Amino acid sequence: MDDHQTQDLVKELVHRLISAESGGGGRDAGGALQYTELVLDETEVSEAALVRDVLYACQGIDGRYVRFDKGSDAYDLPDGVRVPRSTRTLVRKLCELGWLFRKVRGFISDNISRSPSDAATEVGTVAQAFCSALQEELSDYYKLLAVLESYSLNPIPTPGSDSGVSGNYLSLRRLAVWLAEPAVRMRLMAVLVDGCRGLRGGAMAGAIHGHAQHGDPTFQDFMGRLLRRVCSPLFEMVRSWVLEGELEDVFAEFFIIGQPVKAESLWQEGYLLQSDMLPAFISPVLAQRILRTGKSINFLKVCCDDNGWADAATEAAVCVGTTTSRGGLGYGQIDALEALVVEAAKRIDRHLMDVIHKRYRFKDHCLAIKRYLLLGQGDFVQYLMDVVGPELSEPANRISSFHLAGLLETAIRASNAQYDDRDILDRIKVKMMDHGDGDRGWDVFSLEYDARVPLDTVFTASVMKRYLKIFNFLWKLKRYYIMFEVLEVSWARFSEEMDSAKDLDDLLLAHDKYLTSIVEKSLLGERSHGILRNLFALFDIILQFRSHADRWFERIYELQLRGKGKPKSKAKAKSKEVDSWVDGGRKAMIQLAGELFRKMGEDLDSIAKDYTSSLDAFIAQLPMQQHVDLKFLLFRLDFTEYYSRVSSNK
Amino acid sequence: MPREIITIQVGQCGNQIGMEFWKQLCLEHGIGKDGLLEDFATQGGDRKDVFFYQADDQHYIPRALLVDLEPRVINGIQNSEYRNLYNHENIFVAEHGGGAGNNWASGYHQGEQVVDDIMDMIDREADGSDSLEGFVLCHSIAGGTGSGMGSYLLETLNDRYSKKLVQTYSVFPNQMETSDVVVQPYNSLLTLKRLTLNADCVVVLDNTALNRIAVERLHLANPTFAQTNSLVSTVMSASTTTLRYPGYMNNDLVGLLASLIPTPRCHFLMTGYTPLTVERQVNMIRKTTVLDVMRRLLQTKNIMVSSYARNKEASQAKYISILNIIQGEVDPTQVHESLQRIRERKLVNFIEWGPASIQVALSRKSPYVQTTHRVSGLMLANHTSIRHLFSKCLGQYEKLRKKQAFLDNYRKFPMFEDNDLSEFDESREIIESLVDEYKACESPDYIKWGMEDAGEANVAAALDSKLVV
Repeated sequence: MDDHQTQDLVKELVHRLISAESGGGGRDAGGALQYTELVLDETEVSEAALVRDVLYACQGIDGRYVRFDKGSDAYDLPDGVRVPRSTRTLVRKLCELGWLFRKVRGFISDNISRSPSDAATEVGTVAQAFCSALQEELSDYYKLLAVLESYSLNPIPTPGSDSGVSGNYLSLRRLAVWLAEPAVRMRLMAVLVDGCRGLRGGAMAGAIHGHAQHGDPTFQDFMGRLLRRVCSPLFEMVRSWVLEGELEDVFAEFFIIGQPVKAESLWQEGYLLQSDMLPAFISPVLAQRILRTGKSINFLKVCCDDNGWADAATEAAVCVGTTTSRGGLGYGQIDALEALVVEAAKRIDRHLMDVIHKRYRFKDHCLAIKRYLLLGQGDFVQYLMDVVGPELSEPANRISSFHLAGLLETAIRASNAQYDDRDILDRIKVKMMDHGDGDRGWDVFSLEYDARVPLDTVFTASVMKRYLKIFNFLWKLKRYYIMFEVLEVSWARFSEEMDSAKDLDDLLLAHDKYLTSIVEKSLLGERSHGILRNLFALFDIILQFRSHADRWFERIYELQLRGKGKPKSKAKAKSKEVDSWVDGGRKAMIQLAGELFRKMGEDLDSIAKDYTSSLDAFIAQLPMQQHVDLKFLLFRLDFTEYYSRVSSNK
Repeated sequence: MPREIITIQVGQCGNQIGMEFWKQLCLEHGIGKDGLLEDFATQGGDRKDVFFYQADDQHYIPRALLVDLEPRVINGIQNSEYRNLYNHENIFVAEHGGGAGNNWASGYHQGEQVVDDIMDMIDREADGSDSLEGFVLCHSIAGGTGSGMGSYLLETLNDRYSKKLVQTYSVFPNQMETSDVVVQPYNSLLTLKRLTLNADCVVVLDNTALNRIAVERLHLANPTFAQTNSLVSTVMSASTTTLRYPGYMNNDLVGLLASLIPTPRCHFLMTGYTPLTVERQVNMIRKTTVLDVMRRLLQTKNIMVSSYARNKEASQAKYISILNIIQGEVDPTQVHESLQRIRERKLVNFIEWGPASIQVALSRKSPYVQTTHRVSGLMLANHTSIRHLFSKCLGQYEKLRKKQAFLDNYRKFPMFEDNDLSEFDESREIIESLVDEYKACESPDYIKWGMEDAGEANVAAALDSKLVV
């Protein structure tokens, strides 16, 4: 501050003191007049003009002196205008309102005043509601400005001044008082406008909601008013989604988006939660529930071809007390919304579970899969192995799957499977997996279960793949490991959870748990690769032994037949005249047999050695497995602690 | 293609227990006395074709042969309510109808003479099966027909159907009362030889123990044959449930037996059953849980073979294997818990030379037979104490043989003519070695047993003896 400025400031202060004295007392009118003239002398622009200009600026219009300066992004008096520093400051301060107004108005016009076709695609209903709410607030503001303008034009006599020539009633100072509250509101709107720029739909509502957490009652009132308007389209979407399953979301504003997918993946991938569109006043849990309810309706509509859900939805609405018509809910009624969602979810999920269990017989199909794919129907599996066995020993590329399908039918006919529901039996299919050179039928054969819509939502392709994996494992394992401990225990748990599942997600989760537990306990999990390799090595050795045993049997049987020539028992040897040829033959045969036995012994020893080492490795690995149930397997295998003793003796 | 099993019931006792067995099977499968399915028997899930086949008129006919040398018991069957159940072509009664006079040699010799007729029947039944699994022989070892003719049939079956399983339900005589059959020890010994060499599995039904159970457990003052036979039929039907109600495991005989019999000669199984009831006696209702049932099964008083072991020997006896077939509503998780408890309390004494465990098969229960208990269990066990039963048989034989008593009846037949009693000696040797082998099973070194004298002698022996696979 230079000296000149300081001088100005001092003068100004002196004048003010005088003016206050004269205005307050009102005795010395002449003095006051003098003072006004004095001021007029110093300022080129009258206060009235400034007031008018400020009022203009507050409406976003350039006045005579006060203009919008793009450079400094503010309303200001040009430097050329000579006004006291204080006045200039005051004007600047008052004009902030104009600046804020410009911003708000700009936002509204950006969003609304486009060509209608444009607006339809770009701006969403939430933004439109926001703008309309802002406009309503602005219309109040306009009213105020109109009043102020009239004040500035028609001076009201100041009480105490007897002449009509007193100064304007609306001084800059008075204006400051008048505009203080609107400024606060406008600032808030501007902040909201800034915060909402570039956002849409649920995200916009969320952003606005973020500013509503405020202690000031007037503030809260204002925000409440605003949010009720802004959220109404959003709540409408929720309502129509949970009660009708309709996504009324032309502008992609909702926190749920739909995707065109095949019926089987409708549940898993058809609808997704858009977390950035989820306003904070809807909790993630509630959002999930909203998502699932609408999804259930759509699942019923698309996959189950069912209409019963509509009754459930109406019932839910009646129960909560909202009509199923539009506009029943608003911001601040989160409780009501939640109640509606909860009721709707409860009823619709119950209906869905009913449909799945009763109409689509979910449990029956699970049992069928357990019986046929998890080899629970022992006799069926046995016959299947019997009839397809010879076929499967052929190279994979020479096997006709049609032929196998015929054999499968034979196995069904021959076993107790024949009494099963035809609908279930028709779904069992032979599946040949991709095969490479040198693969035998055994390597690629598997069974498949055609779950069909809507159950393919549970038994998706990837789930079936896991079932196939278990099938292939069991197919090899049959007889060597007590499966009921794995399968039956898992099933018992699944069955329990299936009955208590309230919605499809629960059911999917339960099923996934069931499948995972089988996979883990059957050593098919990711972590069990090493031990599984050992197990398969054991299988190979067992199969080797089997083929050896078959061969030995044939050879011995052959020898025995040749030995039949001689008398069976010494006691019965009635033909005492022992032929020398027979005797010689016997000697040769004993020699032959001796050789066979020696060879057998060698083979047996080597198999036994392999088996022991593989088994040791397997047993040793077992306690290291993560899955707690695998410890039970060890317990079963080593019930008498025989293996522990053997290994500790080493 | 069921794994069919052909039942051959030989002699008075064999036909009596056989008849009870078929009665029980008919009840469980809802098959009427005439072989027609009852109206209520609509629930599937059971396999009738293992033991039955259907005639053209939908009759269920047992795959059974009824063989006897005297007509009394079979006539009884043919005059009973079940007369239309059996295939009349499968009934063989010797023309003279004179029986075997409680003489093993007579039964064996007559068997030799009529074997063609009987094998014709067996072949016809076998041809009528898609994938025959094996034969079940019901007989007693003490009399003449069941023991002698049964022995001959065992040898023949083993020869002709060498790859098929042969299981027997063999009734051992009651040692507590003096038998009217004085030559019982001879008959038993000679039959035991065939059971050792020619059968894959022998389920020992000890009349002494059955009587004891009937008296002590069922509180019957003087148990009748019908009552003890109903115990037998319970055991027989329970031991076949996994074949008749298919589940994960043990759906065929070989699967059932393979785990019980680790070495071929030690194939004599004891049974235990709980809770025991006989007809018209349902006043004893107990709480039955899996643990409860499995524990009871391990108690000697429920085991249907008497223990003749002295205390010291009894403490050394060991289980080679155990299979518990649990029927009824069972929570599979309980099985594991029960096993854990049994192991913790060391309730079972297992062999030390190999891994062993209580195996458990869960099986459905017939929906047509109402029982008052939720869970019932059958134990099939391979236990070394069975050797004392054989030792007892040997002891009684020695006593009789020393006196050269009653041998004349045997000398009348070709096998023993010219006073050639080597068959007796050979049988005794085989039973002795069986007893030795079971004794060896009690030591940890059993695996090395019998390996010392390997060599040419063994080769020749293997050639001469029958193949058992």
